[in-house]
Amino acid sequence: MRRLSSSSSGQGVPLLAAFASLAAAASLAAQQTPESATALSREVKDVFARAAKAVVKIEATDQHGELSGTGFFVDPTGTLYTAYSVGGEAENVTVEFKGKKYPARQLLADLRSGIAMLKVDLASPALPIGNSDQLEIATPVVAIGYPLDLAETPSFGMIAGFDRKCFGGYFPTKHLRVNLPPQRGEGGAPLLNLKGEVVGILLYTFENNSCYALPIEAAEKIRSDFVRFGEPRHGWIGANVAEAAAPVEGSRAVTKDIMKETPAAESGMKSGDVVLQIGRTSVHEPEDILDASFFLTAGDVVPITVMRGNEKITFNVQAEIHPATRRVPRLPDGSELPASASLSGRAIPLNLQSSPDRTP
Amino acid sequence: MDEFNDNEITKLLRLKRYEQPAPGYFDNFLHEFHRRQRDELLREPLWRICIDRARDFVFSFNLSTLTSYPAAVTAVLVCAAVISLRIYQTPQPATVAVKDRSVLVVPASTEPEWTLASPVATRVFNTRSLRNIKESAQTHRSGTPRYVLDSVPVSYETTFKF
Repeated sequence: MRRLSSSSSGQGVPLLAAFASLAAAASLAAQQTPESATALSREVKDVFARAAKAVVKIEATDQHGELSGTGFFVDPTGTLYTAYSVGGEAENVTVEFKGKKYPARQLLADLRSGIAMLKVDLASPALPIGNSDQLEIATPVVAIGYPLDLAETPSFGMIAGFDRKCFGGYFPTKHLRVNLPPQRGEGGAPLLNLKGEVVGILLYTFENNSCYALPIEAAEKIRSDFVRFGEPRHGWIGANVAEAAAPVEGSRAVTKDIMKETPAAESGMKSGDVVLQIGRTSVHEPEDILDASFFLTAGDVVPITVMRGNEKITFNVQAEIHPATRRVPRLPDGSELPASASLSGRAIPLNLQSSPDRTP
Repeated sequence: MDEFNDNEITKLLRLKRYEQPAPGYFDNFLHEFHRRQRDELLREPLWRICIDRARDFVFSFNLSTLTSYPAAVTAVLVCAAVISLRIYQTPQPATVAVKDRSVLVVPASTEPEWTLASPVATRVFNTRSLRNIKESAQTHRSGTPRYVLDSVPVSYETTFKF
């Protein structure tokens, strides 16, 4: 009897130890989940605390009445980004910063990318610019905006995709599809990674709890154009691309048409050339042309590598102004100058200052 | 009681049988009894007297029949509490900020529409909504800005041209 009791107690010790270790593991696992959630919450709080001071509410009027949106400073001299639909065609723009309203003037409005740049004459905080190429699916991101008439509000979400096509049309360049709940008034809000760097600009809502943001590199390209030329200069070489039946050197983008008297035609490109690379962008599908095309700058020379038969050729093409963004000369009364009008021997009174300077 | 047995009590009674109270003792007996009783009562604190009075008053109604159903009494009390809470917490009807109050007011003198098609006089309810969409938009949008977040891109690329 004693032997039996001794034996059973001998088996009970390891059993007890196993139960204890299981309980410890379970409690550890139970503790780890809240800790990771707390850490994430802390990171979001930190991003919000650091970035919110550079995010502003923008109010303006347009032909439909008053509007309200969001913008954010990108340099310490009061330059800010917002959405085209907020600051692109509006007047009497004011920026609410630290509880005060300041008049803002428009530096540029780019319909193609969907953004506008405004300027406020004050020393401002600025958000650091990040790199959207480092984003992956499910990367956590934070947006800070001014929904409705409420105060600055953080929204937390994740990258859901990198899309070039939406609602049957093609974006000018790849857009970030973000699963976070956007609200009205947050057009132009910055999309931030958890380092607090801007990786995109919130432009469009997409179904419920999802939205599209322009990658910050695309906005920076527009800003770079503005710094260099005083305006956005979308480039164009005059080639039309279609999908090839079979890939050549890994690319299905074949030139369908080469328009006459365009940089592509003058450089020697022909229809049937399979595009392999434009600048630094490798081309595999026709959709890749969109990204490469968006970053072309009129006046810049870009190397374009194509496959013609079995021969790989590189053309150095100087891009021209994109026809879609080419300015049409207008008469002082706002009407377009007829194309047939002869410019020779006529002085055209161009209104160089399209909008009055509203900053005192 | 153990100190005295029957014999001792008998002896005591035998000794006391010829003793008489002082003359006039029974003349003022009742008055003296009440005085002593009052003096005894006044030695207790006032709160205890009140409690005793209240207890006597309550038990005079014979509550034992009610206390035999404590569950029923509790249920009734809980129901009464819930109903009273619901009554007091009923939300007020939502008020809408209206620029022009006349928009929302239904004319009190609107003639009810009656039909003679049925032998029984049947009132046809006026199905006109209080506000149409346009009025609603006016009341909600007046004075508030348009909060911008587009649902479609401002520009599309038509084809793969570059």
